Amino acid sequence: MPPCPVAPDALQGIPRQQTNPARWQGENWNEFVSTLQADNIDVIEDRGTRGIYSTDAGGLAYGMPNGVIIARDAQQISTLLRNAQRYHIPVTVRGGGLTTEGESVAFGGVLLDMTGMSRVLHIDKDTLTVRTEAGIFWHSLAEELRRHNFDYLSAPLNLTSSVGGTLGVGGIDVNSAKLGCSADQALCLQVVTPTGDIIECSDEQNAELFQRVILGYGQFGIITEATLKIRPFTPMRMHYFYYRSLRSAINDLILLDQNGVPDYSGILTMMDKAVTLLIAFDSAEREKTFFEQWHKQLHGYGELGFGIRLASYYALHPWRLNELFFLLRRKHTLFPDLQPAQHMRNGEIIDRTVVFSRAVWKHWGHKNMVIPDLATSVDKFIDAVEKGNAVCKHYFPRYTLYCVGIKLRAEHKAHYELSSIPHDAKDFSYGCEFEPILEENNYSRDYLQSFKNAIYDIGVDMDTSYYRFGGMMKAYIRRALGDEVVEKHLALKRIADPAMILNRNVIF
Amino acid sequence: MRSVDVIIVGASLAAAAAAKRLVDAGLETVILERQELPRHKICSGILSPRGYRFLIENFGPLPKKALHDPTWCRGVTFHFPCLIPMPMDFFGGTTPHLHRKYSDYWAIKRSAAEVMDKTSLVGLDDQGTRVVVTARQQSGETIKMAARYVIGADGPSSAVRKAIYPEYTKQIPWFFVGQKFHEIIDCPLDEEYFHFWFHPELGHYTWSHARDGRQIVGVGFKQGDNFNQRHLHVTAYLEEKHGVKLKPADPDHEGCAENFGPSLINKYIFGKDNVLLTGQSTGFLNMIGEGMSCALHSGAIAGESIVESICRNQPVQTVYRQMISSEVRRTTDQWNPLMIAFGRPHEADFPKALMALSRQDRIKVLKDIWRFLLLYKEFRWGRQLAYSSLQRILRGKYLSQRWL
Repeated sequence: MPPCPVAPDALQGIPRQQTNPARWQGENWNEFVSTLQADNIDVIEDRGTRGIYSTDAGGLAYGMPNGVIIARDAQQISTLLRNAQRYHIPVTVRGGGLTTEGESVAFGGVLLDMTGMSRVLHIDKDTLTVRTEAGIFWHSLAEELRRHNFDYLSAPLNLTSSVGGTLGVGGIDVNSAKLGCSADQALCLQVVTPTGDIIECSDEQNAELFQRVILGYGQFGIITEATLKIRPFTPMRMHYFYYRSLRSAINDLILLDQNGVPDYSGILTMMDKAVTLLIAFDSAEREKTFFEQWHKQLHGYGELGFGIRLASYYALHPWRLNELFFLLRRKHTLFPDLQPAQHMRNGEIIDRTVVFSRAVWKHWGHKNMVIPDLATSVDKFIDAVEKGNAVCKHYFPRYTLYCVGIKLRAEHKAHYELSSIPHDAKDFSYGCEFEPILEENNYSRDYLQSFKNAIYDIGVDMDTSYYRFGGMMKAYIRRALGDEVVEKHLALKRIADPAMILNRNVIF
Repeated sequence: MRSVDVIIVGASLAAAAAAKRLVDAGLETVILERQELPRHKICSGILSPRGYRFLIENFGPLPKKALHDPTWCRGVTFHFPCLIPMPMDFFGGTTPHLHRKYSDYWAIKRSAAEVMDKTSLVGLDDQGTRVVVTARQQSGETIKMAARYVIGADGPSSAVRKAIYPEYTKQIPWFFVGQKFHEIIDCPLDEEYFHFWFHPELGHYTWSHARDGRQIVGVGFKQGDNFNQRHLHVTAYLEEKHGVKLKPADPDHEGCAENFGPSLINKYIFGKDNVLLTGQSTGFLNMIGEGMSCALHSGAIAGESIVESICRNQPVQTVYRQMISSEVRRTTDQWNPLMIAFGRPHEADFPKALMALSRQDRIKVLKDIWRFLLLYKEFRWGRQLAYSSLQRILRGKYLSQRWL
């Protein structure tokens, strides 16, 4: 034990810590603003505008920037960062603001709003790529691509996240078990480094920078443009199977994913005894193959079979009837939104981006987006989900679990170094989000944070990983990744960002 | 008349936590403090691990000046008339020994709220859409300010609470706690622990620990008794039974009124309309009298509630009472015998320490605890405690209808 375990220079690791740091005190702010204004960069300082950015989707961390800058182009961002280095001004970058631990909240300094850079620059039909500004939301990109009958490969279900923000953290879709995470779709990037250099990078050109920026939590540069893979648009044929147990649903999901059967797959629970396996296909042929070769191997029921089993369970457990009413209410409201008539044609979903994004906001959206997750290797997944399920039960009366596979790419191993991809995962990683249904209830921030940290703690205790929505959390990163990895990246960060101004407190 | 978003009365840890939440969300916040800052505060200064975590999370590492020596505490040791000691380490590791004069001032400054010290509250007038606060500065000047909300974070003898519920003070039993400081001749009590006595003859609340080279001997009793006599009785007991040899008490003794009951029987007082009470003014107090972690958390929740109330256009009392329920549950669980037996509500493991004793010793300790509890019989809390405990089991929560 150090001579004084609570002195500032001997701070011990404590089991949890919210990223809610003390406010930056404003040194050199006026000189900094004057310099930027001389370069024709508009710094918005009125309280109303700054207040728009006071929290993120998590709604647990609040902070006011001293000023807001709307991103216009790489040159403007370069000037901003050069001066921020010179005057030691913290810069926090925000796309859709969908972080949940305050990573896109500025506790003073500059808030750089990337949504000002949201144009699609070029679609290349021959190489199947798109070049886009990085502040664009995924739904806007999807809309632009659809005009040319293309689609992106994978994007977060919540489509008001920005392309740049997603590439920095991961991005998981229902087709990630087949195509990998969203960050895997990036071919090359234009990045403004923390010292203001504008650099084009990819696995071939400035590879070190590319590897640090992809899944790098915004520590090594601001992504201003990205070239992404695209594919021809296809409608989606969706099927549901129902389970009474998480374990058998997860086993079936893994079986299908590892054999490459569905194009889209995931598990969504209404309760831990009402589990839905969703699988979908891009083509009638693949759908047919599934029904001919794989359907009978599944342990799930159809809607009628499951309904009968559920009814018999509650007939024998009448004191739990309120659960049944909840399930019926949930089914009545949720399922039509997953197959809305205006987005269906011949039984196929033709606008999956809209359907999923709307459903996510409508049924899981809340003023506090509370969606901690665990990411594990295939072997540890069931155990992790069951432990997380027990934590949910302890904290909330109703919650949803969402499980999905992520295909890992051996050639992208260098990208994953600082990411939440578990170190022991091979070929596939599996993720589970734990989403309390908060409805109209008000919970204190500490209560919600305690719940989230209890989930993250499972990840650390099981030597696996957690949390994809913005980072690994400063207080957890050493426990999660170990000192060696953290020291390596911290040393790189100190070289790349000498004044440590870019996205402070996110992981360093 | 100046108009701000929120006025917080008191410059305590609860005030700092509330101010942090409000300033972070961009609300103009002014703190009124009766004394000149940094101000002295009577307190053991032994913060619970949960409170320590809150400080680090929200204000950063503690400066050296905010700590007494020994700078940290490993846990709590319970003592009984049977003289069987029960040392228990905190689950969360060592915790700081706060120098409240400087730790509170440091947290207040880190919150970045505007502070008006040497300014006492004179009166409140809640006009529905705003609260007009009248205060008097030490210079004699009277000022008036308007705020959308007022938070009372001014301790057990809260002036804000008195302004909105003038009769409340007469409705609950009051205790006096006082501590004296002694030069040490010989003290076998382990200085890494906070020591507490379950001894009916010593008083309702008896403690001792080391601070800055001296030993604190503290006593708590029903208001009206004699502090000096009580204190002499305890020092004589410590010398006789524990071999604690101390010089006579130094002149810098201190004491204050305490409200032990509300947490125990779930009878909190959270304010009225646009005036919120928080910290110890509501009655929040952990078992063995640690109030700082409750103050930090409830203060933060008061601040959060105002932010939520403004963002969602909901009445602040409704939001506050929903959001504070988790803190009520956590605090009152600490006094709930069923939770103590089965739920591990404390930050040190009492049942485990108890089970580690031999069967004979365990019986002796339990008998001593029972005799100690009888000391509180006159307050008639037993039935209310049983009712609250039952509600907790049946409904999973404590009833908000009992709150003022």
